[in-house]
Amino acid sequence: MSAAGKGDLTEPRHQPQSIEPSEAEVIERAKQGDAEAFQMLYEKHKRRVYSLCLRMTANTAEAEDLAQEAFLQLYRKIGTFRGESAFSTWLHRLSVNVVLMHLRKKSLPVVSLEETTQGADEDSARKDFGAEDVALAGSIDRLQLQKAVDNLPPGYRTIFVLHDVEGYEHNEIAKIAGCSVGNSKSQLHKARMKLRDLLKMNRAEKAGNSRAG
Amino acid sequence: MNCVELQESLAEVEKGSTVEQSAHLRTCQACSALVKDLNLIIAAAGRLQASDEPSPRVWNSIEIALRQEGLIRPQRTARPLLPSFSARWGAARWLVPGAAIVLLAVGIFLRQQSQPRELAQTELGTVPVTNQSDLNDDDLMQEVTANAPAMKTQYQENLQRVNESIRDAQGMVDESPNDEDARRSLMDAYQQKSMLFEMAMDRSLP
Repeated sequence: MSAAGKGDLTEPRHQPQSIEPSEAEVIERAKQGDAEAFQMLYEKHKRRVYSLCLRMTANTAEAEDLAQEAFLQLYRKIGTFRGESAFSTWLHRLSVNVVLMHLRKKSLPVVSLEETTQGADEDSARKDFGAEDVALAGSIDRLQLQKAVDNLPPGYRTIFVLHDVEGYEHNEIAKIAGCSVGNSKSQLHKARMKLRDLLKMNRAEKAGNSRAG
Repeated sequence: MNCVELQESLAEVEKGSTVEQSAHLRTCQACSALVKDLNLIIAAAGRLQASDEPSPRVWNSIEIALRQEGLIRPQRTARPLLPSFSARWGAARWLVPGAAIVLLAVGIFLRQQSQPRELAQTELGTVPVTNQSDLNDDDLMQEVTANAPAMKTQYQENLQRVNESIRDAQGMVDESPNDEDARRSLMDAYQQKSMLFEMAMDRSLP
């Protein structure tokens, strides 16, 4: 039985009403050039957009420039937003395209052209596990993972960020990145395996340092 | 299914595991540890989403570009979008920004008594020097600590960001005193700080 009700002394007497404008209202105002509306949209979505750019480029300055470009493109095109999809989805897709265009201009591989899971020797499935192949154990520190993602090859990083961090499905990644679903799955698996290696190396280094110190 | 086949199958199976995979994992400690590690990585990946904040420079640059492109128009007289205390306080709402302005003015006056000051005269009015961006920060934080302690960290972060914006904008004005956009950015940064004080005053009222 709920504790709330008439005469309930635990209920606060004054309940401030929420007067936050809806996102739809803010978007309409932004379409009319309202500066405050622009800023509200920016404040609401800046972390997601910037973090996406940072994860995919591993470079703070580039990420800021790309986030800026993504929002500018958003504001230039906001008049065309009809609400068929969620605004955040629209903005996110736009941001991903901005980053991928940037990576292509830099001639960095967006996704490796490898189609199968059988890649180079270093990436192929291990046939045996040596004594050094121990589990990561426990939780993974966010900063350590961040650092490991930054050290991934660009193609692996793109797929990992889009799928595991941002939640895109493989069929969506295939359309965005211009690859096959099979390639997307293959690259994701390799990215995760590479991250595992990087995280274990990092832990081994730290353990070595603490023993030496 | 052997270890190689298990690893190759991991790329294809997105969620859960197949009967063959489960059977192999029950008997193979190494593969079981591998799968556990991969699951840890997947779980940790979600924490990277929206985990970082861009510097104030990004918004400043966006705003300047929007103005230059004419995408920002003068604000209409329609009701403001930001949550306003006017809905709660009625006619008395004008006491709050007035109090914030008085607080700022008193603080500026007190600082003027203790520090030398250089003013940059511009078409948009007098623009105080950089160190005046630190004015009243202690007063503000004391106010917040006393009346809204749960918001202290957020106010500290907002204050730091807005002070950085003021310093950045001041730098731009110092470099190009005749740049109207730079002066506008500086005034906007001060207005943002004034709004922060306003919000703090609003919370401190009973």
